[in-house]
Amino acid sequence: MKTAILSNINMDACIRLLKRDADVYDGEGYGNELGTLMNPASSLYAYAPEIIFIVEDLCELIGHNPDEKAAKDSIASWFDSLRSVLRDDIIYYIADAYAWGGELAVVPDNGKKIRLELLWQQELDKLTCECTNTRIFPYRRLIEQAGEAAAFSLKTWYMGRIPHSLGLQQSMVKEMYRLISIEKRTPMKVLALDIDNTLWGGLAGEADITPIELSDDHSGLAFKNLQRIILQLKQQGVLLTIVSKNNEKDAWDIIDNHPHMILRRQDFVATRINWDNKADSLVSIAKELNLGLDSFVFFDDNPTERDLIIKTLPQVVVPDFPSSPEDLPQAMITIWKDYFARPVVTNEDKDKTKQYQANTAREQSRIAAGSFDEYLKGLDIVLTRVDETRHTDRILQLLNKTNQFNLTTRRHTLAEIQEYLSDRNRKLFVYSARDVFGDYGIIVVAVTRILDSALVIEELVMSCRVMGKLIENAIIHDIENWAASNDKVRILGLYRASSKNQPVTNLYPGLSYSPVDDSTREGMADYLPEAKGEEYSIYCYEPASKSERNYILRLDIEA
Amino acid sequence: MKEKIIAIIEETLMLPEGSITESSTMEEVEAWDSLAHVMIIGELENRLGIVIPLDEAIEITGVADILSKAGV
Repeated sequence: MKTAILSNINMDACIRLLKRDADVYDGEGYGNELGTLMNPASSLYAYAPEIIFIVEDLCELIGHNPDEKAAKDSIASWFDSLRSVLRDDIIYYIADAYAWGGELAVVPDNGKKIRLELLWQQELDKLTCECTNTRIFPYRRLIEQAGEAAAFSLKTWYMGRIPHSLGLQQSMVKEMYRLISIEKRTPMKVLALDIDNTLWGGLAGEADITPIELSDDHSGLAFKNLQRIILQLKQQGVLLTIVSKNNEKDAWDIIDNHPHMILRRQDFVATRINWDNKADSLVSIAKELNLGLDSFVFFDDNPTERDLIIKTLPQVVVPDFPSSPEDLPQAMITIWKDYFARPVVTNEDKDKTKQYQANTAREQSRIAAGSFDEYLKGLDIVLTRVDETRHTDRILQLLNKTNQFNLTTRRHTLAEIQEYLSDRNRKLFVYSARDVFGDYGIIVVAVTRILDSALVIEELVMSCRVMGKLIENAIIHDIENWAASNDKVRILGLYRASSKNQPVTNLYPGLSYSPVDDSTREGMADYLPEAKGEEYSIYCYEPASKSERNYILRLDIEA
Repeated sequence: MKEKIIAIIEETLMLPEGSITESSTMEEVEAWDSLAHVMIIGELENRLGIVIPLDEAIEITGVADILSKAGV
């Protein structure tokens, strides 16, 4: 990714370090970061960065005046200026604040430093909530980890307006590399955990509840801290599963009843506690969750089990296991950074465990229901067309991460989504769904283009969580009704095959849409996504023909 | 101490071990520009406690000067 570092202090040494492994903007010196951002003709925009790190020295920014009222005004005005120049196609990492200045050492008020930093933090939090392409660069934590004395150097500050030691520069650059890689990759989804000597010390069933190591001191505390970290992973959308060789009852006795357990039964979306081969257990969990094994990380203390998975399921990530329990929490933090961390956590991510658990309940009810219609009736699905302008993050995530129910598999940038939303000749249809077992959140996005007498469905994606419930028929019906009431006599649907979207190959033909013949197609070249139009099939339907649309659910339309 | 000083210079200049000797000068080492020089003086102070006053720091022309200022 093309990267830039902007600052009100000299960051040239950092830029030099970052350049060893990244494409970095050379800069126009320091101290004019807002000017550079404001000038559309600046060398920054000619360079066209995809990601910009902005590191501001707080004391410099407030003119080394510790008066809080004045500081508040300078900080607010800095953020206002920044807000006015943000571009949708750039990701901005803005450093949080660390106040470094000799004058603060002689201010008698000990709370002054943190209050000044907080003024910055409040503005930063506000900005990152409002603008989905702004994120926080954890500058302050890096300084705290190094210690202030080791992080800063007055000598380099006086000689070249460089406040940071080489050590801090190295850790900042390392963090920048990490964040750049997170922006580029698809995070893992499932953490498959062993339990004995992994979530606690010792073996379940070997002794009564208390003798396993899980407590508030010694190794027991290390295991407890590991569980605290794993619980936070779950809150961010990582799906937790258990793959262990135990008697089931012994394991559940501890998970349900041990006073020091942090992770409980409801935190896991699937469990295989048995004496089966662990590779088989992983395969069966992947099938149950409808997820690829390439989104699994396997965490097990037993080298034989790890070796088995490495050899038989090479697509599963198998990290090393630390030799001592006290290293477990740090090992899990590293696993999070390497495989699970994501730049933005959406509301759907936070509820992921609940959604997958509800899926299991649905599956059981399907088996019990007998007929498919009975099953759908029992689910009592409510589909809601929501205000499309309020879910930009989720729209982007669905369009870019959905593989199966995706009619074209075109990937999009945030800027394109925002362009669609403001384009009068486009309409986005966005739906959420819920049923008796729970809320699925936002699960469908359709991008349509409005022509004089026709509506073109350019993109249609649906989360795999809701496939197989005839929801797509209701969506198409709703779009057709909207088109008819807006005087469109034709609906055109685009389709492009990918290696993963077989489930939708027959969507349009199955709903009585006819393939457009070559001569008609020639007149439609303009409607096709720019290049490689020949890969796309176009299907056509006339709402006047009123084909039957079969589904069992209720459709609501939000104002 | 000599070895430690040279190691810090090499690390700051991002050069492999053995690239810098007691006789290396700023002029002949390409990576040793004014920005790198600032960082070297800072690191010597931070990590080895070798304090070279500001006005002397700008007079330094190579490793030999640094070693003499450091008194080794």
